[in-house]
Amino acid sequence: MSSAPDLLRLVNQVLANKRRPAVARLPSETRLREDLGFDSLDLAELTVRIEEAHGVDVFEKGVLRTAGEIEARLGRAACADARQSED
Amino acid sequence: MSKNILVTGVSRGLGLAIARAVLEAGWSLFGVSRTRSPEFDSLAAAHPGRVHFFAHDLADADGVRTRVFKEFVGLDTPLHGFVNNAAVAYDDLVTNLELERLEAMYAVNVFAPMMATRQAIRNMLLHGGGGSIVHVSSISAHTGYKGLAMYASTKGALEAFSKNTAREWGERGIRSNCVVAGFMETDMSGALGEEQRRRIFERTALKRPVALESVAATCVFLLGGESCSITGQNVVVDSGVF
Repeated sequence: MSSAPDLLRLVNQVLANKRRPAVARLPSETRLREDLGFDSLDLAELTVRIEEAHGVDVFEKGVLRTAGEIEARLGRAACADARQSED
Repeated sequence: MSKNILVTGVSRGLGLAIARAVLEAGWSLFGVSRTRSPEFDSLAAAHPGRVHFFAHDLADADGVRTRVFKEFVGLDTPLHGFVNNAAVAYDDLVTNLELERLEAMYAVNVFAPMMATRQAIRNMLLHGGGGSIVHVSSISAHTGYKGLAMYASTKGALEAFSKNTAREWGERGIRSNCVVAGFMETDMSGALGEEQRRRIFERTALKRPVALESVAATCVFLLGGESCSITGQNVVVDSGVF
Protein backbone atom coordinates (compact mmCIF):
# COMPACT_ATOMS: atom_id res chain seq x y z
CA MET A 1 0.00 0.00 0.00
CA SER A 2 1.28 3.49 -0.83
CA SER A 3 0.87 6.64 1.26
CA ALA A 4 -1.26 9.56 0.11
CA PRO A 5 0.17 11.86 -2.58
CA ASP A 6 0.14 14.78 -0.17
CA LEU A 7 2.58 13.10 2.24
CA LEU A 8 4.80 12.31 -0.74
CA ARG A 9 4.79 16.00 -1.66
CA LEU A 10 5.68 17.09 1.87
CA VAL A 11 8.46 14.52 2.18
CA ASN A 12 9.90 15.71 -1.11
CA GLN A 13 9.88 19.31 0.13
CA VAL A 14 12.05 18.27 3.06
CA LEU A 15 14.35 16.32 0.74
CA ALA A 16 14.60 19.33 -1.58
CA ASN A 17 15.74 21.52 1.31
CA LYS A 18 18.58 19.06 1.83
CA ARG A 19 19.33 19.15 -1.89
CA ARG A 20 18.54 15.47 -2.12
CA PRO A 21 16.65 13.86 -5.01
CA ALA A 22 12.89 13.48 -4.73
CA VAL A 23 11.34 10.05 -4.32
CA ALA A 24 8.68 8.94 -6.81
CA ARG A 25 6.76 6.71 -4.41
CA LEU A 26 6.31 6.48 -0.69
CA PRO A 27 5.31 2.94 0.28
CA SER A 28 3.80 2.67 3.76
CA GLU A 29 6.76 0.71 5.05
CA THR A 30 9.21 3.52 4.09
CA ARG A 31 11.33 4.29 7.16
CA LEU A 32 11.84 8.01 7.62
CA ARG A 33 15.33 7.81 9.07
CA GLU A 34 16.83 4.73 7.48
CA ASP A 35 15.27 4.88 3.99
CA LEU A 36 14.86 8.64 3.50
CA GLY A 37 17.91 9.68 5.55
CA PHE A 38 15.92 12.10 7.71
CA ASP A 39 17.63 13.35 10.86
CA SER A 40 15.85 14.82 13.90
CA LEU A 41 15.74 18.34 12.40
CA ASP A 42 14.25 16.98 9.15
CA LEU A 43 11.57 15.19 11.15
CA ALA A 44 10.80 18.46 12.94
CA GLU A 45 10.43 20.19 9.57
CA LEU A 46 8.19 17.40 8.28
CA THR A 47 6.06 17.75 11.42
CA VAL A 48 5.49 21.44 10.73
CA ARG A 49 4.74 20.86 7.05
CA ILE A 50 2.17 18.18 7.94
CA GLU A 51 0.68 20.46 10.61
CA GLU A 52 0.34 23.30 8.11
CA ALA A 53 -1.30 21.02 5.54
CA HIS A 54 -3.54 18.98 7.86
CA GLY A 55 -3.70 20.89 11.15
CA VAL A 56 -2.37 17.88 13.05
CA ASP A 57 0.88 17.60 15.00
CA VAL A 58 1.53 13.95 14.14
CA PHE A 59 4.58 13.58 16.39
CA GLU A 60 2.89 15.13 19.44
CA LYS A 61 1.99 11.75 20.95
CA GLY A 62 5.24 9.94 20.25
CA VAL A 63 7.78 9.19 17.58
CA LEU A 64 6.61 7.75 14.28
CA ARG A 65 9.03 5.68 12.25
CA THR A 66 7.33 5.04 8.91
CA ALA A 67 5.20 6.77 6.30
CA GLY A 68 2.40 4.34 7.10
CA GLU A 69 2.43 5.30 10.77
CA ILE A 70 2.03 8.98 9.80
CA GLU A 71 -0.89 8.11 7.53
CA ALA A 72 -2.50 6.13 10.33
CA ARG A 73 -2.09 9.01 12.77
CA LEU A 74 -3.59 11.44 10.24
CA GLY A 75 -6.46 9.03 9.61
CA ARG A 76 -7.21 8.76 13.34
CA ALA A 77 -7.17 12.55 13.68
CA ALA A 78 -9.60 12.88 10.75
CA CYS A 79 -11.93 10.31 12.37
CA ALA A 80 -11.79 12.21 15.68
CA ASP A 81 -12.68 15.43 13.87
CA ALA A 82 -15.61 13.74 12.15
CA ARG A 83 -16.88 12.36 15.47
CA GLN A 84 -16.65 15.83 17.05
CA SER A 85 -18.62 17.43 14.25
CA GLU A 86 -21.34 14.74 14.60
CA ASP A 87 -21.67 15.34 18.38
CA MET B 1 14.12 43.26 3.27
CA SER B 2 10.96 43.66 5.28
CA LYS B 3 10.65 41.44 8.31
CA ASN B 4 7.85 40.29 10.58
CA ILE B 5 8.99 40.57 14.20
CA LEU B 6 7.13 39.26 17.23
CA VAL B 7 7.80 41.16 20.46
CA THR B 8 6.28 40.38 23.86
CA GLY B 9 5.51 42.94 26.56
CA VAL B 10 5.06 45.86 24.15
CA SER B 11 2.72 48.07 26.14
CA ARG B 12 5.38 49.94 28.10
CA GLY B 13 8.99 50.20 29.23
CA LEU B 14 11.63 48.31 27.30
CA GLY B 15 9.08 46.41 25.19
CA LEU B 16 7.64 49.68 23.91
CA ALA B 17 11.15 50.91 23.09
CA ILE B 18 11.91 47.66 21.22
CA ALA B 19 8.60 47.95 19.34
CA ARG B 20 9.52 51.51 18.33
CA ALA B 21 13.01 50.45 17.18
CA VAL B 22 11.59 47.54 15.16
CA LEU B 23 9.21 49.91 13.38
CA GLU B 24 11.94 52.50 12.79
CA ALA B 25 13.98 49.72 11.14
CA GLY B 26 11.14 49.50 8.62
CA TRP B 27 9.86 46.11 9.76
CA SER B 28 6.37 44.95 10.73
CA LEU B 29 5.58 44.48 14.40
CA PHE B 30 3.51 41.70 15.95
CA GLY B 31 3.16 42.87 19.53
CA VAL B 32 1.82 40.87 22.45
CA SER B 33 0.91 42.31 25.84
CA ARG B 34 -1.73 41.89 28.50
CA THR B 35 -3.25 45.25 27.61
CA ARG B 36 -2.77 48.05 25.10
CA SER B 37 -1.37 51.29 26.47
CA PRO B 38 -1.98 54.82 25.13
CA GLU B 39 1.76 54.96 24.26
CA PHE B 40 1.44 51.82 22.16
CA ASP B 41 -1.67 53.22 20.47
CA SER B 42 0.32 56.35 19.50
CA LEU B 43 3.11 54.19 18.09
CA ALA B 44 0.60 52.15 16.09
CA ALA B 45 -1.03 55.31 14.74
CA ALA B 46 2.35 56.60 13.56
CA HIS B 47 3.04 53.40 11.57
CA PRO B 48 -0.24 52.46 9.87
CA GLY B 49 -0.38 48.97 8.40
CA ARG B 50 2.74 47.71 10.12
CA VAL B 51 1.53 47.23 13.68
CA HIS B 52 -0.44 44.19 14.81
CA PHE B 53 -1.46 43.62 18.41
CA PHE B 54 -2.73 40.63 20.37
CA ALA B 55 -3.81 40.78 24.02
CA HIS B 56 -2.52 37.78 25.95
CA ASP B 57 -1.37 37.17 29.50
CA LEU B 58 1.82 35.10 29.30
CA ALA B 59 1.01 33.60 32.68
CA ASP B 60 -0.96 31.25 30.42
CA ALA B 61 2.18 29.70 28.94
CA ASP B 62 0.36 27.06 26.92
CA GLY B 63 -1.80 29.81 25.44
CA VAL B 64 1.29 30.93 23.54
CA ARG B 65 0.92 27.78 21.46
CA THR B 66 -2.84 27.57 21.34
CA ARG B 67 -3.66 31.28 20.98
CA VAL B 68 -0.72 33.57 20.07
CA PHE B 69 0.62 31.26 17.37
CA LYS B 70 -2.78 30.17 16.08
CA GLU B 71 -5.04 33.21 16.29
CA PHE B 72 -2.36 35.88 15.84
CA VAL B 73 0.80 34.66 14.08
CA GLY B 74 -0.34 31.68 12.06
CA LEU B 75 1.90 29.45 9.99
CA ASP B 76 0.86 31.47 6.93
CA THR B 77 2.68 34.54 8.33
CA PRO B 78 6.44 34.15 7.86
CA LEU B 79 8.14 35.12 11.09
CA HIS B 80 11.68 36.47 10.81
CA GLY B 81 12.37 37.38 14.40
CA PHE B 82 11.13 36.96 17.94
CA VAL B 83 12.06 39.17 20.90
CA ASN B 84 11.23 37.66 24.27
CA ASN B 85 10.97 40.76 26.39
CA ALA B 86 7.99 40.29 28.73
CA ALA B 87 8.90 39.43 32.29
CA VAL B 88 7.68 39.82 35.82
CA ALA B 89 9.76 40.27 38.95
CA TYR B 90 9.30 38.47 42.22
CA ASP B 91 11.94 39.93 44.51
CA ASP B 92 12.55 38.77 48.05
CA LEU B 93 15.09 37.07 50.25
CA VAL B 94 15.55 33.41 49.43
CA THR B 95 14.47 32.49 52.95
CA ASN B 96 11.06 34.06 52.23
CA LEU B 97 10.56 32.18 48.96
CA GLU B 98 6.96 31.21 48.21
CA LEU B 99 6.58 28.41 45.71
CA GLU B 100 3.34 29.69 44.20
CA ARG B 101 4.83 33.10 43.39
CA LEU B 102 7.99 31.45 42.06
CA GLU B 103 5.95 29.22 39.74
CA ALA B 104 3.94 32.22 38.53
CA MET B 105 7.16 34.06 37.67
CA TYR B 106 8.61 31.03 35.89
CA ALA B 107 5.43 30.73 33.79
CA VAL B 108 5.92 34.24 32.37
CA ASN B 109 9.72 34.51 32.34
CA VAL B 110 10.70 30.98 31.29
CA PHE B 111 7.87 28.66 30.23
CA ALA B 112 6.03 31.11 27.96
CA PRO B 113 9.26 32.16 26.17
CA MET B 114 10.19 28.50 25.70
CA MET B 115 6.80 27.77 24.17
CA ALA B 116 7.09 30.87 21.98
CA THR B 117 10.54 29.76 20.84
CA ARG B 118 9.11 26.31 20.01
CA GLN B 119 6.45 27.89 17.83
CA ALA B 120 8.73 30.55 16.31
CA ILE B 121 11.23 27.90 15.19
CA ARG B 122 8.42 25.83 13.70
CA ASN B 123 7.26 28.87 11.75
CA MET B 124 10.81 29.63 10.58
CA LEU B 125 11.32 26.01 9.53
CA LEU B 126 8.20 26.06 7.37
CA HIS B 127 9.25 29.20 5.54
CA GLY B 128 12.87 28.11 5.22
CA GLY B 129 14.45 31.53 5.54
CA GLY B 130 16.03 31.15 8.97
CA GLY B 131 15.40 33.72 11.67
CA SER B 132 16.64 35.40 14.79
CA ILE B 133 15.51 34.90 18.38
CA VAL B 134 16.48 37.45 21.02
CA HIS B 135 15.87 36.93 24.73
CA VAL B 136 16.10 39.91 27.05
CA SER B 137 18.15 38.75 30.01
CA SER B 138 19.42 40.63 33.03
CA ILE B 139 22.77 41.50 34.51
CA SER B 140 21.42 40.07 37.77
CA ALA B 141 22.08 36.60 36.33
CA HIS B 142 25.80 37.46 36.34
CA THR B 143 26.25 39.89 39.23
CA GLY B 144 24.61 39.06 42.54
CA TYR B 145 22.08 41.46 44.05
CA LYS B 146 20.33 40.96 47.35
CA GLY B 147 16.71 39.98 46.82
CA LEU B 148 17.04 39.09 43.14
CA ALA B 149 18.05 35.42 43.39
CA MET B 150 14.72 34.05 42.17
CA TYR B 151 14.32 36.59 39.36
CA ALA B 152 17.96 36.13 38.28
CA SER B 153 17.46 32.37 38.13
CA THR B 154 14.78 32.83 35.44
CA LYS B 155 17.23 34.82 33.32
CA GLY B 156 19.98 32.26 33.85
CA ALA B 157 17.56 29.62 32.59
CA LEU B 158 16.86 31.71 29.48
CA GLU B 159 20.55 32.19 28.75
CA ALA B 160 21.18 28.43 28.90
CA PHE B 161 18.10 27.81 26.76
CA SER B 162 19.25 30.38 24.21
CA LYS B 163 22.75 28.97 23.85
CA ASN B 164 21.46 25.43 23.35
CA THR B 165 18.78 26.62 20.91
CA ALA B 166 21.53 28.32 18.91
CA ARG B 167 23.52 25.08 18.71
CA GLU B 168 20.48 22.98 17.87
CA TRP B 169 19.07 25.13 15.04
CA GLY B 170 22.10 26.96 13.68
CA GLU B 171 22.38 24.73 10.63
CA ARG B 172 18.88 25.86 9.61
CA GLY B 173 19.91 29.51 9.76
CA ILE B 174 18.06 30.15 13.02
CA ARG B 175 20.08 32.23 15.49
CA SER B 176 19.47 32.77 19.19
CA ASN B 177 21.09 35.40 21.39
CA CYS B 178 20.50 37.20 24.67
CA VAL B 179 20.70 40.89 25.37
CA VAL B 180 21.84 41.13 28.98
CA ALA B 181 20.38 44.39 30.20
CA GLY B 182 21.57 46.29 33.24
CA PHE B 183 19.28 48.33 35.47
CA MET B 184 16.94 50.61 33.58
CA GLU B 185 14.48 53.23 34.78
CA THR B 186 11.35 51.16 34.21
CA ASP B 187 8.29 50.24 36.23
CA MET B 188 9.94 46.89 36.90
CA SER B 189 12.84 48.44 38.82
CA GLY B 190 10.40 50.86 40.47
CA ALA B 191 10.01 48.52 43.42
CA LEU B 192 13.59 49.30 44.43
CA GLY B 193 14.09 52.18 46.85
CA GLU B 194 15.75 55.44 45.78
CA GLU B 195 18.88 54.69 47.79
CA GLN B 196 19.11 51.15 46.43
CA ARG B 197 18.81 52.48 42.85
CA ARG B 198 21.47 55.11 43.48
CA ARG B 199 23.87 52.46 44.80
CA ILE B 200 23.22 50.19 41.81
CA PHE B 201 23.90 53.02 39.33
CA GLU B 202 27.03 54.06 41.27
CA ARG B 203 28.42 50.55 40.68
CA THR B 204 28.43 51.11 36.90
CA ALA B 205 31.30 52.65 34.95
CA LEU B 206 28.97 55.19 33.35
CA LYS B 207 27.27 56.01 36.68
CA ARG B 208 23.83 56.08 35.14
CA PRO B 209 20.88 53.83 34.34
CA VAL B 210 20.95 51.82 31.15
CA ALA B 211 19.14 53.64 28.32
CA LEU B 212 16.12 51.75 27.01
CA GLU B 213 17.03 52.89 23.50
CA SER B 214 20.47 51.29 23.79
CA VAL B 215 18.99 47.92 24.73
CA ALA B 216 16.32 48.21 22.03
CA ALA B 217 18.90 49.08 19.36
CA THR B 218 20.95 46.05 20.36
CA CYS B 219 17.88 43.85 19.95
CA VAL B 220 17.32 45.29 16.47
CA PHE B 221 20.98 44.71 15.59
CA LEU B 222 20.66 41.05 16.62
CA LEU B 223 17.45 40.71 14.59
CA GLY B 224 19.00 42.15 11.45
CA GLY B 225 21.31 40.82 8.78
CA GLU B 226 24.37 42.65 10.08
CA SER B 227 24.52 40.18 12.97
CA CYS B 228 24.25 37.14 10.68
CA SER B 229 27.39 35.56 12.15
CA ILE B 230 26.42 36.07 15.78
CA THR B 231 24.60 33.30 17.61
CA GLY B 232 24.64 31.69 21.05
CA GLN B 233 25.96 34.90 22.60
CA ASN B 234 25.09 37.14 25.51
CA VAL B 235 25.47 40.79 24.53
CA VAL B 236 25.81 42.88 27.68
CA VAL B 237 24.26 46.39 27.75
CA ASP B 238 24.70 47.48 31.34
CA SER B 239 26.43 50.91 31.58
CA GLY B 240 29.58 48.99 32.49
CA VAL B 241 29.23 46.60 35.43
CA PHE B 242 32.61 44.89 35.96
